[in-house]
Amino acid sequence: MTTLTRPGRGYRPPAPLGGRPRSGRQTSIAILFLLPALVILLAFVAWPMLSALRLSFTNSSGFGVEEWVGLDNYVRVFTDPRILSTLGTTAVYTVMFTPTAIVVALALALLLGHPRLLGRGFFRTALFLPFIVSLAVAAFAWTYLLDPQVGLLNYWLRGLGIQLGNVLQDPNLAMPTVVLVAIWKSFGFYMVIFIAGLQEIPGSLYEAAKVDGAGPVRRFFHITLPQLSNTLAFVVVFAMISALQAFDQIYVMTGGGPYRTTQTVVMEVYQEGFKKLNLGLATALSYVLLAATLVLSLIQFRFFGRREEDNS
Amino acid sequence: MKKLLATLAVGLSASLALAGCSASTGTTPTSSGPVTLTFWHGYTEADGKVLDKIVEDFNKSQTGITINTTTKTWAVIGDTLLPALTAKQGPDIVAMPAENLPVYAAKGAFAKLDDFYASDATRSAALRPAAVEMEKVNGSYYGVPTGFVPLSVIYNKTLFEKAGVASFPTTWDEWVAASKKLTVDKNGDGTPEQYGLALPDHGTVGNGVWPSLFYGNGGGLVDGSTSVLNSAENVETLTYWANAVKNDKISPTGLDGVASDKLFSSGKAAMEVGGPWMASVATENKIDYGVAAIPAGPKGSAASAIGISAAVTSQADPAKQAAAKKFFDYFFTREVATEWSLGSGWPPLRTDIDASALSSNPLVATLTELVPDARPLLPGVANSTDVLAAMDEATQKALAGGVPADLLATASTQVQQALDN
Repeated sequence: MTTLTRPGRGYRPPAPLGGRPRSGRQTSIAILFLLPALVILLAFVAWPMLSALRLSFTNSSGFGVEEWVGLDNYVRVFTDPRILSTLGTTAVYTVMFTPTAIVVALALALLLGHPRLLGRGFFRTALFLPFIVSLAVAAFAWTYLLDPQVGLLNYWLRGLGIQLGNVLQDPNLAMPTVVLVAIWKSFGFYMVIFIAGLQEIPGSLYEAAKVDGAGPVRRFFHITLPQLSNTLAFVVVFAMISALQAFDQIYVMTGGGPYRTTQTVVMEVYQEGFKKLNLGLATALSYVLLAATLVLSLIQFRFFGRREEDNS
Repeated sequence: MKKLLATLAVGLSASLALAGCSASTGTTPTSSGPVTLTFWHGYTEADGKVLDKIVEDFNKSQTGITINTTTKTWAVIGDTLLPALTAKQGPDIVAMPAENLPVYAAKGAFAKLDDFYASDATRSAALRPAAVEMEKVNGSYYGVPTGFVPLSVIYNKTLFEKAGVASFPTTWDEWVAASKKLTVDKNGDGTPEQYGLALPDHGTVGNGVWPSLFYGNGGGLVDGSTSVLNSAENVETLTYWANAVKNDKISPTGLDGVASDKLFSSGKAAMEVGGPWMASVATENKIDYGVAAIPAGPKGSAASAIGISAAVTSQADPAKQAAAKKFFDYFFTREVATEWSLGSGWPPLRTDIDASALSSNPLVATLTELVPDARPLLPGVANSTDVLAAMDEATQKALAGGVPADLLATASTQVQQALDN
């Protein structure tokens, strides 16, 4: 069995997720610098959050008198089968989106990180471009492309003898389609982060591994992935949060249909809050989503933190 | 510390959605002296220009009242009204699809207009009773009708001629037969290049296509506070049309109202159930069109109406409410009501406007003849959103191959739960 060579002198491993220990003075200075932003966050985010928390215990519609209903809204979130189904739909969306987007982004980052690849600047830019387009705008464009009657994609595929059909109204294909659009939109961003992470890995590690006879797959799993763990943790958590908040392209492309197969939690929050004026229920559902996001994020930080410890 | 910041970051990012749900509280000062009102409406076509002109003329006729109109699409009004009103930045008058009025009225977002309807001016205006019915919620009036038009069928005369369909069908059976004739699958691949009918199965125009069909066979959606969605008549109706779509392929499935419009305007569908605006869309697309009543069902002719209501919001203080009512009085005068009807292409809201006064706009004249068959959609039903969502799910699944009786039974249970809430 080949033993991988330890990094040479002068190599400084990336900081663990918990950060390097800092002195109390450094922390105070850091907080001082953060203070203006924190004040803004408190006024425009924390306070509305607390207001929303209060609303979640009421039957508020935004108008007239509101009554305190205790935990009724939360009970309804966990007992109403229609609302529960949106939690399931969101989980499906997240499971489809997060790993796929990350694998695609990482694969392309590895490919485009190759120094001898011709035109890699062009490809990087081209693949990153969808990220700067608003998701709603991208969704409109995709809706037209996929239109079964007048859509270009259907027209081209028909020429090849492929009948795509009305994918956005197909209960089996609508969800993969909206996931695909979200991946197309966001993988460029994750790719750029991965490229930055890959550039931080010292070349000497790969050279040493090559000397020891490690092949590309072994180098990937024993050098690239461990060295990328911080970047990976960030991307996984970021991708998961954006998946749990899926709304824009679903609102534009399917409106939650067909038959609520793409009705995610945020779509339900929107419909309860803005269409049915049940602000209490909508905020309760938002808080359940917030709790789920927090729990999942902490689990992931813990997982990646443990891997970091194992690798160091 | 880093973990704490990471947790905080996660929390704050997720909170952005929550922030939008919080409501502000406050009071509006009572106005004195000149009154300025804001009026949101969604008349984005030629009708919007006519309405703006009417408002402008009203402003000129007043010394102490100014109304400023803002045009947004109906969808944008639906999305922005709640946050705008809770932030006290909303309109004083708002026009919206009539089936949405009970949702807001039941939650206290609109001012009552009972005294307006009790006034001599309104009583003498002879407003169309079916249109006024849209404005009543829990025994009180919360809006005035600004539009009330039955759904009708717009058809492509050129395609009718090509297919040898000499006259427009008058019964369902004739309608399906004509649709079959007008459906063309040139290459025989099972997917027609041209459909006889664009029949949306969800999100239909004014949400009224399926209610119209249900009415035509003696069915309905809601009777008082009871769901009648799973009635035998409705099951028969849904089965009939699902078979026509599935077996005879007279229409593609999965269409909503917008897709249906697109299919007709691109010449790929010979007929569509639509509203008066489709006439101008057809003209823009150089389609020689005709407009006719929805063919009669087994139990007679019926059509759901596309209704638009204008309400005075709770944001408006008494002075603004009084000014708004003054504008409504002006809007319903015979002269202005006729101007609005001819300019917007919608039938007049007064019953006492003579047919000869409408002859300059043949479309209005035709639609006005169809008004007696029109029924308001879910008047006074505060949970109309749930009712329509359940109906949409059933119709969409039925046209995709589901069993109509089972689907309507499930939908009816959902509707009843919503009504009970």
